[in-house]
Amino acid sequence: MGRSTTAKEAEALVQSLRSAYSATPTNLKIIDFYIAFAVVTALIQVVYMAIVGSFPFNSFLSGLLSCVGTAVLAVCLRIQVNKENKEFKDLPPERAFADFVLCNLVLHLVIMNFLG
Amino acid sequence: MVLTFSQGFLISILSLAVLASGFSEDSPTDRRVLVLLDDFAIKSSHSLFFKSLETRGFDLDFKLADDPKLALQRYGTYLYDAAILFSPTTERFGGSIDAASILNFVDSGHDLILAADASSSELIREIAVECGVDFDEDPAGLVVDHTSYAVSEEDGDHTLIASDDFIKSDVILGSKKIEAPVLFKGIGHTVNTANSLVVKVLSASSAAYSADPNAVLSNSPTLIGSSISLVSVVQARNNARILISGSLSMFSNRFLRSSIQKAGSTTKYEKSGNEQFLTELSRWVFHERGHLKALNVKHHKVGEVEEPSMYRIKDDVEYSVEVYEWSGTSWEPYVADDLQLQFYMMSPYVLKTMSTDQKGLYHTSIKVPDVYGVFQFKVEYQKLGYSTISLSKQIPVRPFRHNEYERFIPAAFPYYGASFAMMGGFFVFTLSYLYTK
Repeated sequence: MGRSTTAKEAEALVQSLRSAYSATPTNLKIIDFYIAFAVVTALIQVVYMAIVGSFPFNSFLSGLLSCVGTAVLAVCLRIQVNKENKEFKDLPPERAFADFVLCNLVLHLVIMNFLG
Repeated sequence: MVLTFSQGFLISILSLAVLASGFSEDSPTDRRVLVLLDDFAIKSSHSLFFKSLETRGFDLDFKLADDPKLALQRYGTYLYDAAILFSPTTERFGGSIDAASILNFVDSGHDLILAADASSSELIREIAVECGVDFDEDPAGLVVDHTSYAVSEEDGDHTLIASDDFIKSDVILGSKKIEAPVLFKGIGHTVNTANSLVVKVLSASSAAYSADPNAVLSNSPTLIGSSISLVSVVQARNNARILISGSLSMFSNRFLRSSIQKAGSTTKYEKSGNEQFLTELSRWVFHERGHLKALNVKHHKVGEVEEPSMYRIKDDVEYSVEVYEWSGTSWEPYVADDLQLQFYMMSPYVLKTMSTDQKGLYHTSIKVPDVYGVFQFKVEYQKLGYSTISLSKQIPVRPFRHNEYERFIPAAFPYYGASFAMMGGFFVFTLSYLYTK
């Protein structure tokens, strides 16, 4: 008896999440997809390192950090651009995007140097 | 007859050339030999042996062992190139020779033939001990063998032994097999098996023992069996060669010419093997066989000719050396298949057998190991009967320079790929973000 109710509750939860998520604006969905891409790439690298070993450790760190840095910057962009976020109400989204682009440039410059 | 100036000049030039060829430093064959005798009767009773030496070009200088004018060296240079001590009963040498001077003579690279016999003195035994050979301590002891004695007319006490237990070495005893056994009558000795420099050339049979033949044996003799050596040779670390025999009569004309029949065998040989045995052995002792020299050590990287001052790890290196053997008259190429090269730092990292072109050149190529430090190219060759070759050339080995590593590490390709994928993804993201409603 208990099992079926929790299963039904979980299913209801997932449904509500899905319907709520489909209501988010398209640009935020694009950012979410970008973040997921970065995280998956990071996980692939970690699994690879676990199998093969961390021989060129600098290359491993550089690759991992590029994924993690990208994800972090994208998260920041999402926070600043989200209209429901009261904290950044007065921040123009163009300014947020410009910051995002410049930080990414710096990130990739550092990654390329550390890659070896 | 009075020579003209030009004739005299010519003669002196020619004689100078002859002298120079006889004493060139490269030719290791000794020429001047000091022979110490107990009395001059030995000179005639052993004349066949001495004549065989003289026909090979040795200058024998016969002296009595207690001659007060004896001297091995004068003003620091040695007067002789080798010595033969046929004076078993001499208690003290005359002149300036004593046991220490004989040992110094050997230590400076000169050869020695030492013969002891029944009732040999403490002096001879002492010299033998310093050379690594221990004679039987019993002063009246002789080697007796009741199964391997030489059959003779009188019913002897079996101290005249017919021995054919030779060492198996073509270098020491010549390539021609010695058919007849060797006659021996004298004292036996042992060599320490742990000593790698001493080698038994003629051993007694396993039924031999060393004891006084005229006395009753009260306890078992100390020297028994085939551990008794009748004739031994020593090759010192400076390649000086010493022959030690327990019998002086083995060298005598009587034994050299005598027929021999070993007890228990029906074959009677017309001539004993003594002459062949001693001639071949004296050839080896005086460096007419088995004397090697190694020249022209060369090493370089594969594909280059110059010898660099330093190698890098994982380099390919070629090493070559030339080895010659003295044949008595000239240097012949030495041919063997067991000359090895070591690349050594505290222990050999690479050990490789060198290949030869049959003309004395040995070469091989090795890969420098993945360890850096100061290495040596070492050739350590110690073969029974041959002089030792000990070559060593030091060379440092450095690690990779910072720009000698591989540019892109294959194991890191996923990380390279991920970083570029992130850059590409960022570019695609900006496009899609900016241009969607």
